[in-house]
Amino acid sequence: MVRIGHWIGSVALAAVIALSGCSKSESTHESASQPASAIKPTVYLLPKKKGVPYFETCAKGAREAADKLGVDLTYDGPTSGSADEAAKMIEQWTLQGADVIAVSASDPAPLAPVMKSARSKGVHVITWDSDTPADSREFFVCQASAEQIGNALCDTLAKDIGGGNADNADGEVAIVTAQMTAANQNEWIKYIKARLEKYPKLKLVDIQPSNDDQTKAQQVTQDMLKAHANLKGVFAISSQAFPGAAEAIKQAGKVGQVQVTGLSTPNDMKKYVHDGTVKSVVLWNTVDLGYLTTCVADALAKGTLKKGATTFNAGRLGEKKIDGDVILLGDIIVFNKDNIDQFDF
Amino acid sequence: MLLLVLIALMLTAGHLEPKFVSSRSQEGLLSHVWDLAMLALPMTFIIITGGIDLSVGSMMALTSVTLGKLYIAGHHPLWLAILAALCVGIACGLLNAIFITKVGVHPLIVTLATYSAYRGLAEGISLPEIYSGFPDWFRSLGQNTYGSLQLIGWLFIIAAVFCAIVLAKTPFGRSIYAIGFNETAARFSGLKVNRAKVIIYTLSGLAAAIVSINYSGLRDNAQANVGLNMELDVITAVVLGGTSIFGGRGRILGTILGVALIHETREFVGWHYHRNEYVPLVVGALLIVAVAANALLMRRSSRT
Amino acid sequence: MDATSTISMELATPTFSQRLWQLAARREYGIAIVLAIIIAGVTTKNHDFLSGENVRDILIHCTQPLIVSCGVMLVIVTGEIDISVGSALALLTAVLGWLASPTHYHWPAWAAILATLALGAILGLINGLLVTLVRIPSIIVTLGMLTMLRGLTVILMSHPRPDGRAGDITDMPYSVRFFGIGKILGISTSLWITAIVVVFTALLITFTPLGRRIYAVGSNPHAARLSGLSVTRVKIFTFMFTGFLVGVATIVTQLATVTSGLGQGFELLVVTCVVVGGVSISGGVGTMIGVVLGVILIQIQSTVLIFLKLGTNAANWNQAIQGALILIAVLIDQVASRGEKRIGGGH
Repeated sequence: MVRIGHWIGSVALAAVIALSGCSKSESTHESASQPASAIKPTVYLLPKKKGVPYFETCAKGAREAADKLGVDLTYDGPTSGSADEAAKMIEQWTLQGADVIAVSASDPAPLAPVMKSARSKGVHVITWDSDTPADSREFFVCQASAEQIGNALCDTLAKDIGGGNADNADGEVAIVTAQMTAANQNEWIKYIKARLEKYPKLKLVDIQPSNDDQTKAQQVTQDMLKAHANLKGVFAISSQAFPGAAEAIKQAGKVGQVQVTGLSTPNDMKKYVHDGTVKSVVLWNTVDLGYLTTCVADALAKGTLKKGATTFNAGRLGEKKIDGDVILLGDIIVFNKDNIDQFDF
Repeated sequence: MLLLVLIALMLTAGHLEPKFVSSRSQEGLLSHVWDLAMLALPMTFIIITGGIDLSVGSMMALTSVTLGKLYIAGHHPLWLAILAALCVGIACGLLNAIFITKVGVHPLIVTLATYSAYRGLAEGISLPEIYSGFPDWFRSLGQNTYGSLQLIGWLFIIAAVFCAIVLAKTPFGRSIYAIGFNETAARFSGLKVNRAKVIIYTLSGLAAAIVSINYSGLRDNAQANVGLNMELDVITAVVLGGTSIFGGRGRILGTILGVALIHETREFVGWHYHRNEYVPLVVGALLIVAVAANALLMRRSSRT
Repeated sequence: MDATSTISMELATPTFSQRLWQLAARREYGIAIVLAIIIAGVTTKNHDFLSGENVRDILIHCTQPLIVSCGVMLVIVTGEIDISVGSALALLTAVLGWLASPTHYHWPAWAAILATLALGAILGLINGLLVTLVRIPSIIVTLGMLTMLRGLTVILMSHPRPDGRAGDITDMPYSVRFFGIGKILGISTSLWITAIVVVFTALLITFTPLGRRIYAVGSNPHAARLSGLSVTRVKIFTFMFTGFLVGVATIVTQLATVTSGLGQGFELLVVTCVVVGGVSISGGVGTMIGVVLGVILIQIQSTVLIFLKLGTNAANWNQAIQGALILIAVLIDQVASRGEKRIGGGH
């Protein structure tokens, strides 16, 4: 009796697994099962964190390029944002026979060794959005370095606090980050701190984590607004922190007195820009970033892009400059009331 | 039964993705499993006694930061840093054990508290700096394979055999089951309950230290983010392996199968669907279905 | 049957009714004293801490964890546990956003809210049925649900929007947000709702037969079953109640936008609050006042640290302080109850 029960149970379980395997394989694209060929390069695009609008809009641009160029594109990454998980995915893709792996590094430390090892197995590895040490990749598709991002955030906030003139900026500022351990954010914080020296009247008084939770971001901003009476500006430097901090300022009735800025896709912050809570949002064209990355990956796989090139023809984006091994997307965009409606991503 | 599920999974996988089941792929993916496997061994002992350890991931973080801070930031010799990391791991486990045995607090609560405390300490001590730049010989210990297994793989095999023998054949192993089955009775029959608990929780800390040292070699960094959410994976693997969360029942072989099943499921879902968001869905469902099937079968067998 | 019954058998000392209250009362004093010391300390350093505005904000920070804690407390009192609430909160918020947002399905507010509450109760029902009828340990069921619901939330949030545009849900209509940021008689609606939930739960456990059954089930399920109580029904109720309350917590959100990262670590926060509030993880023991104080103690911490103005590196120690706080709380409790309960060592 017991034995029969065991058999029934295991057969049922096996059936469930098998069924789920078969049924879903039809709906998803079967990129992995096709052998890599010279005509249709297999490109893997790794975001820092899957499921957030920033990277979903990048993926949109990447898919557009992939359809046009005939690239077999796979977009996947850790939904937790864990760099360790990202490293495991790179190792898996190497085994699957990827032609190109494009990495946006949430933390260069654990990723660089894995990327080097993938390169040694004949995979083209590039970085996009966020770089790793130069010897771990062939090219970096760059929208802005961490330093440029830090500077842009700092200059923008100073300008908003100073009422249009950054030199008038005076008062205390604070940062709401993701987790205190988030490597990316810590890199930006480093450059924000450095840039703040340019504005001696601005004093950084606190850095608080939001743990990637909007509610928490709203709460710490609310507390900081009360604890620091002279607080004039907040850097909200994660996709969850920005709307949370903006909401806190709005509810505290401090719109106009306290400025907040950060990185966000325009669609997500339009509401706060229009009601005046947020004067400026810093970002770049994420759709184009995904598009350019896929073009570079395709060219690399087909052998049309070699080290030492100085320009690169990127389809609808036209000629892009290559500076050493860095392919430049273009400028950082500061979205405000006047221009934000021109963008839909 | 778990073995059959595993076989079914591999057959399905082989049908859909022939490359996935090739020995080359499997060997390449093997390095992803050792953290989970290593931590699952002491966790099996702990859960058999009716306890739980939620702090394993945080102990990994604290030992990792110890290692990085001493070697990279403090310029101490690496052997000293490794030794210190091992000691910190043991001390963390010991502290859990003291709270559980001497103070008499439920393990769930103790380790829930130290889950925050250890990772919090790691964050505070490192002011979340990321330490990287370990010497080549140390990294090759983490990365190189020796006869198709990494160093930690061989270590795991030795540890697993040892644990299996201890659990099945020695008086100590029998006392572990006795504690889980009925702690009061175990106490009254003269078993050294507290000593057994101290040993297993300390071992959990030691395993966390070993795993995090290996991680530093494998990925060339040490930081307070190591082992995030690890605890739930480890518990899932052990329970999937047939160990009863109420204690008194469980085997090392079951745990190994549980670990293997989770590993293969996770890698296959990633490999085939390229949808990272499916992984928690499938692993969660697997846990509930497997334990439910087990519970239903148990009831049927106890009725006949 | 299994070890749960043995555990609760051991703990079912005759102390149940009266001495339980004595014990629990002492725990409440303990937390109240710690809270008072903390508040006094911060206020001397920063007088604004006890301003009306700040007290209100602190209470609002407590709303979500407190509402859910009411349910989780009952679950823990019956000797079970629910750690799926964090992911459930994220999923329900995402569902509410999808249903109510004008850019998505744009249901009327009442329909979206009712659907969210119903879905919450259904999630709770699933937990309850798996625990009681299929007899899977609750920690396993809710651990599985925790991972599964998190995955579902990400899938839902990255699903293409009905209007084909990119981006998160950014415009929760005011008719829904009224329950979070609106005011009735000058006091935030979210506080009214929380007060109703807390008072309801307190009345439920003190004055109704169902409340007494919940405690009876937790302190001794065998005896409860023998005296004709349906343990199954009581447990299913507590899980459904928790799920429903997660739905309520979703509605009192202060936010206008919905992202997939909500509620991470919320489950452990709630369990921590409940346990610090003196609810015994082995079942049968726990009071509403204790839980309220526990939630305030844990939630006030972050505000306290910000008001102390310790500088830009201080937040790195937040988690360590939280862990230490829990350890101290259980330590004091254990030492205090040593005298009374000699057999306590173990578990």
